[in-house]
Order: sequence, then C-alpha cells, then structure tokens
Amino acid sequence: MSFNKTKEVIEEGDVVILYLNPNNIYSLEVKAKTFNKKAELVDNVFQTTYGALKVISLVGQKYGSKIELTKGWAHVLQPTPELWTMILPHRTQIIYSPDISLITHLMELKPGSTIIETGTGSGSLSHSLIRVIRPNGHLYTFDFHEQRVSIANTEFDRHGLSDFVTLKKRDVCLDGFGEELKHKIDAVFLDLPHPWLVIKHATVVLKQIGGKLCFFSPCIEQVQRTCAKLICEGFIELNTYECLQREMNVQYRSLPILDFECLKYKHTNENITEKNERRERKQEGKLLTVIHAQSLPGHTGFITIATLPPSCHRCTQK
Amino acid sequence: MSGESAESVITVGIHVIVKKQSFSKVYKVSENGTLMLGKNQKVEMHEIIGKPFWSTFEMVPKHGSKNTYSLKLVERTESWDDLKGELSGQDNRFITDDGTSQRLSKEEILQLQESGKSGKEIIGSLIENSTSFVAKTEYSQEKYIKKKERKYFKFLTIYRPTILSLHEVYFRQNHDKIGGLRMDSLAQILSYSDVQADGLHMLYDSGCQGLPAAAMLNRIGENTGGYLINFHPGNVPQIAIVQAMNFPQELKDRHIAVNIYSFLRLHYQGESSVLDNISSKKITDHIKETQNIEESAEKSNGETKNNEMSQMNIEISELETDTRENIVSCCNTEKGTDTLKRKLDESEEPEETIPAKKPKWFLETQRALDLLNNSKARGLTIIAKEHPLNIVNELLPFLGASRPFVIFHTYREPLQETYMELKQKRNVINVKLFSNFLRSYQVLPDRTHPDILTSDTGGYILTGYLVR
Ligand SMILES: C[S@@+](CC[C@H](N)C(=O)[O-])C[C@H]1O[C@@H](n2cnc3c(N)ncnc32)[C@H](O)[C@@H]1O
Repeated sequence: MSFNKTKEVIEEGDVVILYLNPNNIYSLEVKAKTFNKKAELVDNVFQTTYGALKVISLVGQKYGSKIELTKGWAHVLQPTPELWTMILPHRTQIIYSPDISLITHLMELKPGSTIIETGTGSGSLSHSLIRVIRPNGHLYTFDFHEQRVSIANTEFDRHGLSDFVTLKKRDVCLDGFGEELKHKIDAVFLDLPHPWLVIKHATVVLKQIGGKLCFFSPCIEQVQRTCAKLICEGFIELNTYECLQREMNVQYRSLPILDFECLKYKHTNENITEKNERRERKQEGKLLTVIHAQSLPGHTGFITIATLPPSCHRCTQK
Repeated sequence: MSGESAESVITVGIHVIVKKQSFSKVYKVSENGTLMLGKNQKVEMHEIIGKPFWSTFEMVPKHGSKNTYSLKLVERTESWDDLKGELSGQDNRFITDDGTSQRLSKEEILQLQESGKSGKEIIGSLIENSTSFVAKTEYSQEKYIKKKERKYFKFLTIYRPTILSLHEVYFRQNHDKIGGLRMDSLAQILSYSDVQADGLHMLYDSGCQGLPAAAMLNRIGENTGGYLINFHPGNVPQIAIVQAMNFPQELKDRHIAVNIYSFLRLHYQGESSVLDNISSKKITDHIKETQNIEESAEKSNGETKNNEMSQMNIEISELETDTRENIVSCCNTEKGTDTLKRKLDESEEPEETIPAKKPKWFLETQRALDLLNNSKARGLTIIAKEHPLNIVNELLPFLGASRPFVIFHTYREPLQETYMELKQKRNVINVKLFSNFLRSYQVLPDRTHPDILTSDTGGYILTGYLVR
C-alpha cells in the first residue's frame, strides 16, 4: 500500500525503493518471509553490493532515511511512478518517463478522467496514468496475455491501487472494449503492434462530447496506417511527436590555456619564470560543465495524438 | 464528469480559445466584445454567446467600416490541409522564373476577393500565378502559406481552453513570456514533481504567465484535497493562464499565492515583524507602486514588445529590492531600540498603526505557512528566471523526506551550479540534469517526414529526491 498516499513510516507489506547509487536501485516488498528459487519459504534477506539487508528490519524506519549496511549504506524511498518505471520487472518492452509524460500531457488527463489503455504490458505506463486520474477517475486496461494480466493485477493490489483500475484479458483488435464502456471514455491509449485495428472500437467507447486518442508506435509505417484510419473515422488535429531525453553528467573539468604572449618580445630570465608560473595557475582554473553520454537511446517510439470532435461535429469518410 | 449540456455553451465572463486555421488566441467573452486579429482586423464577437463550444463562424466584412467583421454561424470550416499536399512533389520542369513573381495584378486579386471566392480558392490562384513559389524551399513555401492565411482565411472556431491549447497560444506568440518552457518540458515537470490530487504541492514561479500554476492546478483537479502553494517574487503572481482555465472557485481557493519574501520573513521572524512592516506607510506606498507597474505590465502584455516587457521587469525587480531594503532598515531600527521602550511601544502601537483587519495577502501567507507546518510538501517545483540555488535551499526544508523536486531553467549553467551545491551540501539522491529534443512529424501517404519548423528552446531540467 505505498503508492496511494504519502507515508512517514514503513509498515509491513509496503513496497519500498532501495537506493544504493544511480545504477543500483531496487524494489522490495517488506515482509519477513519469501520464497526462494526452490519454492521454499525462507527469511527475506536482500543481497546488495554493500552487504545483506534483512528486509523486515525496515518496518518502523522513516521513508527517506539512511539504512546502514555492512559495507556501506542505502536510502529507502517511497515509490513514485517515475522510480517504479526505472526498476520494475520487465515482462514486455515498456514506456519510459519522458514518453509517459508527453502521452499523459497530450491526452489532457486530470483527476476524474475515465480512460482506456491497451496493452497493459508491464504496467509501466499504467502507474503514471492512475496517479493522474485518481481519486475519482478510472483506468480500464486490457491485454490479451493471461499471465501479464494476472501479474499486473497482483501488482496493483499490492500497491494499493485496485480501486482505480480494472484489468481485462481480451484481444482488443478482435473484440473491442465491451458494450459496458460505450460512450463512457475520455481518452484511449494504444501500445500494441496493430493500432489501426483498434480505431473503430475506440470511436465507440469515446464520449459523445468527444475525446482523445493517443498511440505509441516504434515504426513509422504503423503511424502512417493508423493515421489514415484515424482520419477516416473522423479524428482531427493529428500530431506525431518524438521526444528524446538527454541526460548530462555535471563535472568539473580543467582546460589548459596556452600562453603565446611570451613569444612576442624578448624576456629576461626572471620574466619567463614568472610567466610560466602564471600559466600554471591558469591551468588550475576549473570549468563546471557537462559531459554528454557517449550513447543514448536515439529512438523509442512515435507518439501520435488525435482528437475526436463532439458527435455533432464529426465528419467521417466513407 | 462535467455536465455535457450547460457547460459546453459559451457564456459571458469565461475565457475561450479562438482558432483561425493554425493561429489561435485567448479571448474573454464579454457582452459586446471585439477581438483584434493581427494588426488591423477587428472582429465583433457577440455572436458566439450562447453557442456551443466547437462552433465555427465565418468572418463577414461589415459595410462601411474597413477591416471590421461580424460573425455568422456556419456548418463547418474550410480545410487548407490538402493545399500543402497538392503542392509538394509537383512536377516543375516547365516552370521558369521570369522575374515577375506574382502574375496577378493588385486589381485582379481584389476582384477575386470581391467575387466571393473562398480564401482557399484565392490562395490557390496566388500560388498558381506565382513564379517564384516553386523555387522556394518547402520551409519558405510553408511560411508563405502561413502569411497568406492570416489575410485570406476567414473562419473562426471557438474551443474550451485547455493547458495544451493555452500553451500553444503563448508559445507561438512569444515563448520568452513563458520562460521558453516547451510542451515536452512542461509535461516532464508535471511528472517529476509528482503533482496529483492530494497533498501540498510547492511551486516557485517568477514569470511564466501562470502556466506552471495552471498546469499543476489542472492536475490537482476539481473537488479533491490537494493544494498548490505558489511562491512568487513580486507583489502579485502572474496568473493570466490560470484565469484563462475557467477553474471553479473551489479549486482557485486551493491555489495559495504568496510572496516568497513575506513567507520566509513570517517563518523566521513571526507575525509581528511582517505586520510591523506593512504598517509603515512608506512601504505600503512602495508596494502599491510596484503593483501598479506589474498590473500595467500584465494588461499591456498583448501589445508590448519584447524588450519593453523586459525593461518593465527590470523596473519591477528594482522596486522590489528597494522595498526590501526599506523593510530591512526598519527591522534594524526596531532592533536598535532597547527592550523597555519596545514594550511600551507595543502596548500602544496596535490600535494606531496595525490595521484592524489583516490584509488578504498576509492571511494567505499565514495560511501557506500553517499548511506547511502541518505537513511537509509532497513535491517542489521551481521555474525561475533568477538563479535557482538560493530558492531551492530555502524551500527544501519544507519538502517531505523521500519526496521529489524539479527545477527548470532556460540556461544550463545555473542548474550545473545548483547540481554541484545540492550534491555536496544537501541530502539529495538520484539527482539528474537533462534536456530534451522534441521533433514533430508530418504524416501523409508517401510524404512523411519531420516537420520543417521546429523549436530549439527546450530549456533544462534538474530533478532529484530529498532524503533525511
Ligand atoms: C509493449 S507492451 C505494452 C507496454 C506498456 N505500455 C508498459 O509501459 O508497460 C504491448 C502489450 O500489448 C499486448 N497486446 C498486443 N496485441 C494485443 C491485442 N490485440 N489485444 C490485447 N493486448 C495486446 C501484448 O500482450 C503486450 O503485453
């Protein structure tokens, strides 16, 4: 129960983030026992590069506090959707925070929005969507993969988010979203290989006063096919974006400065040593700058947003 | 959620987005209001009152008065979208540039207009008869069409304002006015700040027309438990975009705008120090003065040029420092007097100098402090024109442990410095500095490519989490 409200103190059953350093971040479920690989119930001990942690000992600790380990320390944090996306167990490819931010913003979501997402995948996007639409909105999320649905279900439950989300196992290309959601939805989001097969179903569930449809596709051909379909179905204001986040490493660097003045006239010996000294002093001057990553994700996916006007202003083709 | 009938009708007093092809503007609906389009087109707007959102109107020239239009409700707008498609990829082997770029004479163009041809037909003829058009790059072709659009496109559609549409209006008109905050940066700030329906959310914003506050209030939502504590350096916060969102009073009441100096003084020195200061007449006059300037700055936003604006800003901040210095010197004299005399003074002072009713800004400052004393903030967002280091240092103590902060700046250097200072002196983890590259695409059958026009003013974002 650690996603639905801010907490001071860690309780049994919480999911917490263990932060060792930027490259070692983990999530832990705070309970005394856990199953090992042989499916035996054993003490829940988490091995880190800085030593072992008896997970149940976190109970009573404050969120944000420093935990001593035998060879170092770590911090425990309450998860946010951004932290969760960084460390969640991958069952599929997932969408990351920069794209999630843009998707949420473009769909104009806010508390109270009733929305659809498909496929659920690893639930990376779902956690962010639920944060925005809580407490009076609802997320309906669909996936045709039985196991992904059931794991996601357990996760939402463990995170205290069950009240805001309904999971359904369904092939949305074939079967749509179901009669019960007809004209109830503010926005539909698609992340699956054939988004163009879902557009017709989406127009049925979007509200009569109109709504948004957003889809994420790695390939431009998918975008073209889906956009053509969207226009046929009366969607307008189609926009396609690509957003790359560039992280920068802040560092002090020193730059040697070459001194050519001494070449221009004759010097006494004294003068030269003085100049050399000054040159060395200059070299010590630190420059605060950034180093760009040697490689970065050059492409994630195209994000397309489209608006379905109110039914009285729609104009479909054919 | 919201009512589908009454609320979707345009009423007097609310703000709307007026869209004319790719150009859009914010308009506050009034009984007999007019809207200026460009430099000289004047549109009488009263037709829109009582009509549903999404209604489209044609601009009909008024007889007698030049460049004045009234509106007529129409079924649908004219689409220029296919215009570009038809043009690009044209075979141009027989077209030669003969030096005279437009073959149509002024009179012929005027005739076209008077013969009742649609804007699209006119621009079509203009392009057909322009010998230089084909020689233009696609980039300048687009620019050419945009320019003509202003003159020949005659349909307006009225929309309900949203953060995206308001952002678009301000970003296009003058992105400086909103601190160069691009859509993707704003989107990420809203994520990394963890803003949501409940909790206290702190924002420092020194001049984005209220865009960040409006976007955060939108995420806090109607009829929820969340608060936005909006620190600002002036006497009044910039709230043009907050107002344009037509938020219900209930939500506006949870937007607590406070001057950051007053807030910190109240926190460190207590009520009497703040109230003593405002009872000094000189200072109140000063404050009024600054307020006037800021108000006039806000009013003239539409018209004032860039540099005029920034000049005003400088004036404002100068006056502010003035005020502050005065206040400081006041405090000093007060401290200088011996305790006995002070006690005597205090017993007399209240009736005389402290107004019986505490001013509204003071009560708001008190309210912000009470809320933050009660529970720490869930997130801290800083979008500053100033150097952010001192601001973040002062506000971090009000942020809960394990909670995120996010700082946006147009420049990278102040964020680098802030990064180093925070890493060395404060308990923060997962600190990251980044910038974004945003690209939009034209998607058309066989003609898909990145958009020709893009913006390279994304700014920089610093994020992290506060720990104990
Ligand atoms: C890339 S994953 C989604 C990842 C998710 N957006 C996230 O951030 O974690 C795509 C998912 O769509 C599901 N899917 C594909 N085709 C589907 C269909 N026709 N109906 C329902 N789900 C489908 C797959 O099972 C897969 O889990």
